[in-house]
Amino acid sequence: MRLRKGPFRWLVEKELRELAAARSWWVLLVAMGPLVGISFISAVNTYGEVSGLNGTSAGVGEALSPLIGIWGPTFSSCELAAVFLLPFVIIRLVGGDRQNGALKLELQQGASPISLVAAKTVVAAIAWIVAMLPALSAILLWKSYGGSVYWPEIGAVVVGHLLNGGLTIALAASMASLAEHPSTAAILTLGVTVGTWILNFFGAIQGGIWEKAAGYTPAVLVAEFQHGLIRLDVLLTAITLVLLGLSISAVWMRLGETTARRAALSAGLMGLAAALILGCTFLRGSWDLSESRGNSFSEADERALRQVRQPLSIEVHLAPEDPRRLDLERRALSKLRRTMPHLSVSYVSSTSIGMFEQTASGYGEIWYALGGRREMSRTITEEGVLEAIYSVAQISPPKQDDEAAFRGHPLPTRPIGARVIFWGIWPAAFALAAAVRRCRA
Amino acid sequence: MLLEVQGLCKRFGDLAALSQVSFHIRTGEVLGLIGPNGAGKTTLFECMAGVLSADEGVLRVGGRAVPAGQRSGILFYVPDSIVPWGSQPVGWALDYTVGFFRGRGDLRNELISELSLEPLLGRRIGALSKGQRKRILLAIGLLTSQPALLIDEPFEGLDLRQTREVAGVLRSHAGRGRTLFLSIHQIGDAARICDRFVLLSNGQVRGQGDVGELAALAQARAPGGSYSTLEEVFLALT
Repeated sequence: MRLRKGPFRWLVEKELRELAAARSWWVLLVAMGPLVGISFISAVNTYGEVSGLNGTSAGVGEALSPLIGIWGPTFSSCELAAVFLLPFVIIRLVGGDRQNGALKLELQQGASPISLVAAKTVVAAIAWIVAMLPALSAILLWKSYGGSVYWPEIGAVVVGHLLNGGLTIALAASMASLAEHPSTAAILTLGVTVGTWILNFFGAIQGGIWEKAAGYTPAVLVAEFQHGLIRLDVLLTAITLVLLGLSISAVWMRLGETTARRAALSAGLMGLAAALILGCTFLRGSWDLSESRGNSFSEADERALRQVRQPLSIEVHLAPEDPRRLDLERRALSKLRRTMPHLSVSYVSSTSIGMFEQTASGYGEIWYALGGRREMSRTITEEGVLEAIYSVAQISPPKQDDEAAFRGHPLPTRPIGARVIFWGIWPAAFALAAAVRRCRA
Repeated sequence: MLLEVQGLCKRFGDLAALSQVSFHIRTGEVLGLIGPNGAGKTTLFECMAGVLSADEGVLRVGGRAVPAGQRSGILFYVPDSIVPWGSQPVGWALDYTVGFFRGRGDLRNELISELSLEPLLGRRIGALSKGQRKRILLAIGLLTSQPALLIDEPFEGLDLRQTREVAGVLRSHAGRGRTLFLSIHQIGDAARICDRFVLLSNGQVRGQGDVGELAALAQARAPGGSYSTLEEVFLALT
C-alpha cells in the first residue's frame, strides 16, 4: 500500500524527511522561541506601562492598539528569521539534491523540474509555518492576560509574514539552483536582501522612481501588513516575485540544458514578471484591516472625500529626506491615495535633504489644485490636509462621529509566564524533537 | 539492436570531450565502455541520459531519434560517486526507488539478498562506506524498470570478492533481458563481465566489438603484435 503513492506524494515525503534531517531548520526552530520572547516580553512591558501599570498615567493608553503595540514587535522576530535563518534551510532543501547527486537520478524519472520545485515549496512553506508557531502562541498568551484580539488585523500580520517567508523561499530557491555551491547561494541571497535595503535607503534619499520601487521591497511589504494594510498592488507584486523566483529555480534545476538556453528562459521570465509588476502598480485596491482604522480617514471624512469627483493635484515642496515629507505621507497622503482615485501628488525640491532650502521662498509649501482653484497650506497633519482639501473643493467638513472613534485597549499587565514559555518550553520542545528524530534516524 | 548513438559531440570550451561518437547497444547484452582516465566515459553517459546537453548527435531507438527529455522510458543512468538522500536510511531509499521511479518492487527483496544489503537497511546512506554506497547505487539502478541501465564504474570501491559477486548479479540480470552498459576502467573486470566493448580515448571511439573483433582491429592497425587479451588490445587501440 505504501508504495502506491503518486510521484508527487513521494517527492513531498522525501522533502519532509530531508527537512527533518536538516540541522539548519532545527536551529531556526530553537532560535524562534527566544527571538519571539524578547520581542513579546518587551512589547507587553511597554504596553502595560503606557496603559497605566505602576501608577503611570493611563491617558496615553486610551489610544493603544495591540496591532502596533504587541503584534508588530512580536512578529518582527519572524522578519529577522526570514532574512538570516530561513535562507539556509531553503538552500539546503533545494541545493542539497544537486550536491549529493540525487537530482541526476530524480530528473531521469521524467518528473518535471516544476514538480520538484513545487514539492520543495510545499515543504518549505510547512517549515516556515512551524517556525512561526512561537509567534502565533503569543496570541494565546496575550488573550490569557485579558488582552484584546482583533482577528482581521492579526490575520493581516500573519499573511504579511507568510508572504515575506514566501519571498525568502523563492529567492533562496532560485539562488540555490543558480549557484553551484550552497555558500555561493547564501551569499547571493543575502546580497539581494541587502540590495533591497539599499533600495529603501536610496528611495528615501532620491525619491521619485526609487521611492516608488522601494515601496515593493519585502521590508516595506511587512511594515504595511504589520499596520493592518493590505494593498492589492503590493500583494500581487509579491506573489509575482514568488512565482518568478520559483520558476527561475525550476529553469536552473533542469538538467541537460545549455546555460545559454537557461539564461534566455530566465530573462524571458523576468521580462514577463516585470510587465506583470508594472501592471500591478496601476491597481489601487486596498483593505485596512486594522481595528483602529490607522490607515484610513474617518468614515465621515471618506464619505465627504468621495463626493469630490474632479481630479485633485497636490504639489509638495519638501525634499525627500525632510522628516515633514515622511510625516505628510504617513499621516495623510497614503490615506488620501486609498480614498481618492483621481489624485496626483508631485514633490518639488532642489536637494535631497532640504537643509539648504529652508530659507528659499516656497519651500515647505503644499499646493492643492482642484477644478481651477488653488490653495496653499504648510500643515502636514491629517486634519490640516483635510481642511485644505475641503477648502479647495468648497465642501463643508463633515461632522465627526465620536462614538465610532477607536478608543484603544489599554492593558496594564506584565508578561506573566512568557519567559518560561519562550525561553524554556519552546526551545526545549524543539530541541527534544530534534534529539528524538536523531535517535530514531 | 536496442539503441544507437550517432555522431555525439560535446565540447567544454576548447576541449572536445566527445567527437563524433557512434556505436550501438544490442538488447540484453552487457556492453563495456572502456578507456583511460579522461577519455570522456562519464560525459558520454551523461549526454546519453540527458543529464548533460550534447552539442550534436542523436540517440535512436528503433530508428527513431529520441530527444534528451524523452529518454526516461528507455534508459536509466547510475552516476559514480554520488550519495543520494544521504540522511535517509537504505530501506527507505529502496522503497523510494520503487515508488517514485516506478521501479520493480518484485526485485526488492531479491536484490537485498544478492547485494547483501540486509544489515544496511536501517542505516543512513551518508554513514556508509564507499563500497556499501556503491552496492546501494547498484540496487537502485537494478530496481528501476527501464530496458537499458547505464552504470558508471559499477565496481569502484568494491573489494575482489564483492566485485566478483556484483559481476555475477549484473550478469544474472542481463540474462533475464536487462541491457547493461557499464563504464569500467579496470580492464580485467571489464573482460570478466562484458559481452562486447566500446573503446573510448580522447573523446573518440577507437573500436567496438567483442575481444576477437577488437583484436582483429588492433592487428590491422598495428600488424605483428600479440593481441590475445583485452589489456593488449586496449593498449594497442588507445
